[in-house]
Amino acid sequence: MAAPTSNEPLSDPTVRDRARFFRQALSRRLPGLGESGVGYVFLLPTFLLFTLFLGFPILYTFYLSFFRFEGVSDETLLWIDLPGFEFQLTRIAELEFVGLQNYTAMFTDTLFLQASFNTLFILLVQVPLMVGLALLFAVALNASFVKFRGVFRTVLALPVSANLVAYSTVFLLLMQESGLVNYLLTSVGLPAIPWLSSSFWSRMTIVGAVTWRWTGYNMIILLAGLQNIPQQLYEAAEIDGASRIEKFRYVTVPQLRPVLLFVFVTSTIGTFKLFSEPVIINSGGAPLDSTITIVQYIYQTAFIDFRLGYASALTYVLIFVVSLLSAAQLRIGGSADA
Amino acid sequence: MSGITLQTVRKEFETGDEHVVAVDDVDLEIRDGEFLVLVGPSGCGKTTTLRCIAGLEDVTDGTIAFGDDDVTDLRARERDVAMVFQNYALYPHMNVRENIGMGLKLSSSMTSAEIDAKVQDVAELLGIEDLLGQKPKELSGGQQQRVALGRAIVRDPAAFLMDEPLSNLDAKLRAQMRTELQTLQHDLDVTTVYVTHDQTEAMAMGDRIAIMNGGELQQVGTAEEVYRSPVNEFVADFIGSPSINTFDATVEGATLHGPGGFEYTLSDPSPVEGRDRVRVGIRPEDMTLVDDGVAIDTTVLEPMGNENFLYATMGDQELTLRVVPSARPSPGDTVEFAFDEDALYLFDANSGAALKTKTDAGAPLVEEPEEPEVAE
Repeated sequence: MAAPTSNEPLSDPTVRDRARFFRQALSRRLPGLGESGVGYVFLLPTFLLFTLFLGFPILYTFYLSFFRFEGVSDETLLWIDLPGFEFQLTRIAELEFVGLQNYTAMFTDTLFLQASFNTLFILLVQVPLMVGLALLFAVALNASFVKFRGVFRTVLALPVSANLVAYSTVFLLLMQESGLVNYLLTSVGLPAIPWLSSSFWSRMTIVGAVTWRWTGYNMIILLAGLQNIPQQLYEAAEIDGASRIEKFRYVTVPQLRPVLLFVFVTSTIGTFKLFSEPVIINSGGAPLDSTITIVQYIYQTAFIDFRLGYASALTYVLIFVVSLLSAAQLRIGGSADA
Repeated sequence: MSGITLQTVRKEFETGDEHVVAVDDVDLEIRDGEFLVLVGPSGCGKTTTLRCIAGLEDVTDGTIAFGDDDVTDLRARERDVAMVFQNYALYPHMNVRENIGMGLKLSSSMTSAEIDAKVQDVAELLGIEDLLGQKPKELSGGQQQRVALGRAIVRDPAAFLMDEPLSNLDAKLRAQMRTELQTLQHDLDVTTVYVTHDQTEAMAMGDRIAIMNGGELQQVGTAEEVYRSPVNEFVADFIGSPSINTFDATVEGATLHGPGGFEYTLSDPSPVEGRDRVRVGIRPEDMTLVDDGVAIDTTVLEPMGNENFLYATMGDQELTLRVVPSARPSPGDTVEFAFDEDALYLFDANSGAALKTKTDAGAPLVEEPEEPEVAE
């Protein structure tokens, strides 16, 4: 076999040809799919997993929200018994149809209303605070005079890698009545703050914890956005007579708009999903349910009270509200071209 | 409006361990209302010089004055200059009206109605009044170019600074914008510093041309001056298209011996007195095909319609000749050329400084076919 070795590039097309033959053979054997349809066959595993673990729960949750959960069922729906193969499909749950009752009940559910208020409060304080801080850090780090930029960036972004339970526990310890924070406050002559026992301050503790953890993450995204703004726009603005603040107002903000929007939307969704921090720091909503969040309430309803139908309805309302808010943010922030 | 004076302007950059002198003690006087073109190969410091004038770069040493005012320590926004950038640097999120009006909004006390009126005037002047509501990305390159110009014009600045503003346009549009820019600058009578790497553009547009190389200013002069009387071989080589032919020659008395069979006896040997080597320069347009000249071998003939470019070798020296369209030697043919001593350039073999430049009558630079008839 002297010829092929001298003609080395042949081996490459052969592999490609074989792949093509296989694809063509496959599409012949699967009529109706066509050449492009074969691609979907390769995507099938993903679609299957998606359907099983995401599609089905999403639809079943919606279905559940119109029922009252009465308990686990052992009723058999389908039973196939072949030699060497046995398959049994049981009903998942004992359900009683209640129509829209789960949805109407929410409006008189004081704990749900309290949880909504808490979540909204935390959202309205935390998201602007965090995005503002993240932007401040990003702009500062982007300035050309900063030395050790890499070090600062890493240090600021580090909290995001902290384990949820671990960092929440640290916050719990720091914010104790006689914890480090109050010790520092009192040592400079300030009054101690009831971080965990007052309704207002306990919510602020959550705000602080979440802000600490996520500011660096958002800063990295904003910093990437800042670095994408062409330097020449700043030079053009300088020539046009813009001051530092005017450059920020007329160049940075409009250019950063899509990135800021992304940060706002993801942070809003993240805060709506707030769960671990209040559970650990405020041991499940203390004091007096003033830190219980919507997701925490849904968890309680579903897995402690086992009111799966009602919890499903709550979930759908949460999704609806989050979608509405995100859509509104996109509408407001994305209207003008950036 | 004012002239611009640069005195021993120096700009050094530190990039890591590297120390770069981008602008090396440049002295330059730009007259009031003048169109000065800074030209040179890439990396020659022309753009850095322009940015120093704009105030976008601090000078390491030296002073810059607008008229009698020393502006060396002023920031760009305080210098009252307008700049057109190579890629226009239009604000992408603003429409044309806002882009043009931004400078007035930020640095004048005009009301928004006054600004609008001014923007409208400038847009009409540039023929872009229909585009005022559009965003930069909806515009073609030529239209964006006009908006960038509009942004500069609207402010009635002390000086226009242009950094290769035409290089992103296609050839046809570039030629059109070139004349438009000249007309505009002439009408507005504003001191303009224009940076380009294209010597044709420089020759065509500049009242005067400043040629830079390696951070140093080589020569300042009108197009004809730098073409006819370059101070050194670099300027002679950079100015003129196609480039001048240069080669080494040894000197024996009044006779030059070059590559191939090149031999020429100077009627006036004073420039080469006391030298044994020089660099010889002959412009392609000064070479005519004759029957009893220097023999060269044709390699390629490029017919241009109105003239032919003949590429040939003389020994191992490549030459370019600009000949009449009727001259059509085939590749491999041996032809012979001659030239006038008046048209000959001689440069120092080491420093490249000019020893002798063109001393012919001058005018017929392009109407080269007439020359042999005159000779006869």
